[in-house]
Amino acid sequence: MSNPPIPAASCVVVSGGSRGLGLAIVQSILDHGAKVATFARTVTPELEALAAAHPDRVHVASVDATDAKAVTAFIKEAERKLGPVDGLVNNAAIGQDSLHVHTSPERIADIINTNLTAPLVLSRTVLRRILSGRGTGRVVFVTSICAQRGYAGLVAYSATKGGLDSAMRTIAREMHGRVLANSVAPGFFASEMSSVLGQTQLDTITRRTPTGRLVEPENVVPVIDMLLFEDTNINGQTLVIDGGGSI
Amino acid sequence: MAQISRDQVKEMMAEVMRRQNKVLPESEETPLDEIGFRSLDFSELALRVEDELDEELNFDAPGLRSIRTVGDVLDFIDELQKDL
Repeated sequence: MSNPPIPAASCVVVSGGSRGLGLAIVQSILDHGAKVATFARTVTPELEALAAAHPDRVHVASVDATDAKAVTAFIKEAERKLGPVDGLVNNAAIGQDSLHVHTSPERIADIINTNLTAPLVLSRTVLRRILSGRGTGRVVFVTSICAQRGYAGLVAYSATKGGLDSAMRTIAREMHGRVLANSVAPGFFASEMSSVLGQTQLDTITRRTPTGRLVEPENVVPVIDMLLFEDTNINGQTLVIDGGGSI
Repeated sequence: MAQISRDQVKEMMAEVMRRQNKVLPESEETPLDEIGFRSLDFSELALRVEDELDEELNFDAPGLRSIRTVGDVLDFIDELQKDL
């Protein structure tokens, strides 16, 4: 006897959907005809415009991802407006660009709280809603190639992303038959790299990437769409999107 | 603290089963593996009880592993409510 496929997501929570990759994810979910509830510390004009254009399919609020009570209240409000949630994209994160020996304990705690604890708590909340609501769902973690390869200046950040990949696999096991859980692990985005590296370094990294180009959000979004909407039976996996730079 | 009766919990358990096109038998002696009531079904039941109580029922896995029959499920939920 086999279980039926887990249906495509119809109402997705996206953390950190106000700009960059998060905003692109929100737009693409709407393009697929699904509903989306997204929060960020600051709601950008771009996100406000999306909410205004799709008032029945978008719920937006300014929420700090580390404030568990506020996040739970946000999801309850989103469900009142949009209906039961059955999808989650854990996207919100803060970055790091400091050697471990020069990173304060307080900064390490901040990175762990935002990039690991907050998504674990958010996942718990959404999984509880999925179990008591539609019964099935899909969860995607946005992690990083840093979880698998060493890069200077990213010790705490890498630890959190590796932690999320590990948690994702365990969620896939615990929620078996009910939830598809996967990660997407992008390489460095061209925009991020250009902010901290010079053109010469950027050219070198690009040359060492087999596809000859760094990652852009539009490379990552279709993979997240696939994990949210397609019947692939992919579960408990981390999909690396880096142009082959890490092979 | 308001509590949910054993009969109410049993009805909720039946509802969890019905969502999967299964039927909850009358006998509380019925083994769970015989009716296909799995650990995630217990989680779904606990969440339904939580919604009624407006309180979280958090518990560790070892307690859950000792549950074998329909009656065990109802007893376990009773115990969790007493701990609130």
